[in-house]
Amino acid sequence: MKKIFSITAIVLFFSIQTGFAEPLGLPPVPIPADNPQSKAKIALGEKLFNDPRFSSTGDVSCATCHDAAKGFADGPLKTSEGIKGLTGTRNAPTILNAAFMKSQFWDGREPDLEGQSKGPFINPVEMGLENHDPILTLVRDDRAYWKMFRKVFGLKKKNALTMDHVAKAIASFERTIISGNSPFDHYYFTNNKAAMTPSAVRGFNVFLEQGRCVSCHTVSQTHALFTDSRFHNLNVNFNSISGGVQALAKRQQQEKADGVDLDVSILTDKAVAELGRFVVTGQWRDIGAFKTPTLRNVDLTAPYMHDGSIKTLEDVVDFYNNGGFVKAGDPVNSFQSGGIRPLGLNDTQKADLVAFLKMLTSPLN
Amino acid sequence: MSIINRRTLLKTGGTFVAGACLPLTNIRLAFADQSQDFTFAYISDSHIQHIKGTKFVRNWDQGLKRAVAEANLMSPKPDFVMYGGDLAQLGTREELDHGFEIMSALKHKTHYVMGEHDYYADLGEYWSSQVGKQYYSFDHKGVHIIVLNSILTDDHWTHERWANGTERMGVMAGLDDPRGSPFMVGAAQRKWLANDLKGVSKDTPIIVFSHSPLQKLFKNWNFWTDDAELVQAILQPFDSVTVFYGHVHQIQYNQIGNITFHSVMATAWPWPYPESYAQAENHMPHLTVPINRADPFFERDATGWQYVDINSGKATVKFSLTENEPRTVGYDAKRGYPLDTKYVSRSKPPQNHY
Amino acid sequence: MRNIIQTLFLVTALGLGSTLTAQADEFTKEDLDIWQKEFMAVVAVGRTAFTDPNLGTNGVVCAQCHPNGANTHPETYPKFQKQIGRVITLPEMINWCIRNPLEGKPMALDDPKMVAMQAYITHERRNVKLAPGKH
Repeated sequence: MKKIFSITAIVLFFSIQTGFAEPLGLPPVPIPADNPQSKAKIALGEKLFNDPRFSSTGDVSCATCHDAAKGFADGPLKTSEGIKGLTGTRNAPTILNAAFMKSQFWDGREPDLEGQSKGPFINPVEMGLENHDPILTLVRDDRAYWKMFRKVFGLKKKNALTMDHVAKAIASFERTIISGNSPFDHYYFTNNKAAMTPSAVRGFNVFLEQGRCVSCHTVSQTHALFTDSRFHNLNVNFNSISGGVQALAKRQQQEKADGVDLDVSILTDKAVAELGRFVVTGQWRDIGAFKTPTLRNVDLTAPYMHDGSIKTLEDVVDFYNNGGFVKAGDPVNSFQSGGIRPLGLNDTQKADLVAFLKMLTSPLN
Repeated sequence: MSIINRRTLLKTGGTFVAGACLPLTNIRLAFADQSQDFTFAYISDSHIQHIKGTKFVRNWDQGLKRAVAEANLMSPKPDFVMYGGDLAQLGTREELDHGFEIMSALKHKTHYVMGEHDYYADLGEYWSSQVGKQYYSFDHKGVHIIVLNSILTDDHWTHERWANGTERMGVMAGLDDPRGSPFMVGAAQRKWLANDLKGVSKDTPIIVFSHSPLQKLFKNWNFWTDDAELVQAILQPFDSVTVFYGHVHQIQYNQIGNITFHSVMATAWPWPYPESYAQAENHMPHLTVPINRADPFFERDATGWQYVDINSGKATVKFSLTENEPRTVGYDAKRGYPLDTKYVSRSKPPQNHY
Repeated sequence: MRNIIQTLFLVTALGLGSTLTAQADEFTKEDLDIWQKEFMAVVAVGRTAFTDPNLGTNGVVCAQCHPNGANTHPETYPKFQKQIGRVITLPEMINWCIRNPLEGKPMALDDPKMVAMQAYITHERRNVKLAPGKH
C-alpha cells in the first residue's frame, strides 16, 4: 500500500511539473525546498488570496489590491486602498512574476513570498487586523478550510495549523501567477521577427542601448525577467524628505530598534516610506532606494514608481530621459543611483520605447 | 551590531570586532581615556573634470556630492574631514573652484592634502591660494597629525621638460604615461618633517596624510613614493604611526615595522589592482584583500569614502561604498597589523618591502 | 657545445607552448619584422585613441579608468555582459564604454580606430591565457 502511494506521489509530481512548464521567456520558477508546490495547496492559496473575511471589515482581500483584471495590481490608484478606504504610501506591486524576485516589497524587507504574505493582514491601512489570531480561528473553524489544510499539510490537530501554513499556501498560489509568452518573447526567443511592430523593434534597441534600461531591467539570451532584484534611488519624490534626512534616518533606526513594526511605519509614515531600502539595512548606500520592478505587463499596471506618482509610460520615459525628474529644474538628490542620467532621447525614440514596453503584455490564459 | 566594551576588547586581545557598522551610530571603543578617541571622515580623489562653460563630467560630480551628503549625516559629528587630494582632474581654476564649491556643503571643518592633479598645472599656486599650506602639522586629542605634499618630483622634470603647465599636467595626469615621473616628498620636506617631530615624544601616536602611498608598490602607475624609505626611517622610531594615502582608487592596507598604512577610496572611479597588468612587476601588500568590482554599469561602482575611528592612536577604517558591501579594516593588536573584519581568514602576514 | 645545449633548451621550452618546433619554409626574419612593425604601428594608433579626450564628448579618456588597458580583459571575450543582456565581443564592449562613461557615439565595429583599440588592449594583455566567458 505504501509503495503504491509513493508511486502515485511521483506521478502527481510529474503532472504538476508539466502543468507548470514555464511560459516562453522565463526561467524555471524557484520553489523553496520547504514549500513544494501541489495542486491542492495552490487551490487553497487561491481561496485564501480571494477571501475578504481576513480583514477587520470583511471586505478586503489580497485580491483587492492585487486584482487579476488589473495585472494583479490596483490601477488607477496611486497608493493602495485598504479597509475603510484608508490609503498607505505604496503603489501595489504586481504579483505577476513576484515569484522570481529575490526579495519582496518595494524595499525588500521580506525575503520571500511566505514572509510577505503575512504582512498586509495586520497592517492598519491594509486589512486592519490586530494580529493573526482571527485568521487562525477562521481557518480552523471553517469546515472547508480545515479540510483543505488537513489534506495539504497532513495536519492532525486544529491547533497545529499556524500562520506559516496560511503563508505557505498563499505563496504557492502566487508562484503560479507567472507571465511570459509575450510578443517580445516570440520576437526574441523564437526569432519571430513579425511578432513585434517595427516601432517596438526600434524601441527594443533604445531599451538596450541609448536608453540604458536593460542595466536594471535585465534581459538575457535564455530568459527575460526585466528586473535585477536590486535597489536604486531614482530621485522619485526623495526631495520631500531631503531637508531632514539625518534626523529622519536616526528616528527610523531608533524606532526599529525599539521594536516598532516596519510594515506599519512604512505604510503609515510618509517620510519613513521615502527612506526606501535604508529602513531595512541601515546603510547609507540604500537611502531612497527601491527595488527594480519587472516590466512584464507594465502597460496594465499604471500608475508607476513606488508611490504611484507617475501616471503613464510616456511620463516614465520622460522621467528617465531627463535624468530622474519630471519637470525641468526639479532637484536631483545627492544619493541618486549612478546609473540615472539624462539620456538625450528624441520624440521618436521615446515613442518607440513605449511601443516596445507595450509588447511585454502576456496573453490572458 | 556588536557594541564593544572594554571586557570584550580584553578577551579578544584588542582585536576590533566591529561587525556590521550602522553608519549613523559610530561605534566607539571604550578605552581608559575616552577623550583621546575621535572620528574623522576621509574623502578623496574626486577628479572634478571640466568639459566647457559651466559643464563638468556629471559622474565625478555626483561621486563627490554623494560623499559630502553622507559625511554630513555622520552622527556623532566627525572631528574633521580630511580631503585626500586630486580634487581636480587637470588642476584648472574652474575645476578647483567647482570642487571647493561642492565641498563647501560640508558641515565639518575640512583639511586638504595636495594631489598631483591639483598641482602640476600651476605648481599648486591656485590650490594654495584657496587652501593654504601644502604641508603642515597639528595636534588633535593627543595625536600628532602631519600632512605632507608627497607628489613632488625632481626639478628638471618639473621645470625644464615642458612647454607649459598644461602640457606638464597632461602628462602627469596619465597614470600610465611613460613620460611621467615618480613622486617624492623631497629633501626640504623631509628636513621639515624631522624637525617637526623633534619635540614629539616617542609614545605620541602619529598620523600622516599623504596623497601617494609613502611606499613603493607599483612604479608603473606611480603607486610609489621614490623617497619612501627615507620618510619611513624618520617615522619608524615612533611607537605608533598610521599613514593614510589616496591616489590609488582602491583598498590597500599594509604594515611596515611600526607604521600602519591605509589607502582610501576615490569618489570618482576605481582603479584595477596592479596584478591585472601582467607586463610590469608589482609589490602589492600581501595583507590586502582586494575589492571586487560590483558592476561596471553603475557609475558609482567600487567608489566611496571612509570614516576613521582613532582609538588609542590606532585606526579603524570603515569604508562606505556606494555599490559594494561596506568594509571595515582595523588594527589587530595581537597580530600587529591591520585586518579586514570580514576576511580575517584570507589575510596573510605582511611582507617587508619599502 | 654550450650553444647547442642552449638551443636545445630553447626548442624544448618553445615546444611546451606550441605544437610545432621547427617548420619547413620558415618565415623570414624580414617578413616577421615587417608584420610586427605593422602591428605595433596599429597598437600605437590604438593607444592614441585610448588616451584621446575627443573619443567621447566629455573629455573622459579610456585610460583614466583603464591604465595600460588593465581591467578590460580581452582574453575573456566573447562573454555575457549584463548591461547589454547578451554574449558580446570586445568591440561591442568598447562601444558601450564610449556611449556611457565617455558620453560619445559608438563606432562601426570594423572602424580602423576600433581595430586599433583592440590591438592596443590585447597587446597590453599579451601572454595571458584565453578565458572566454570569465568574469
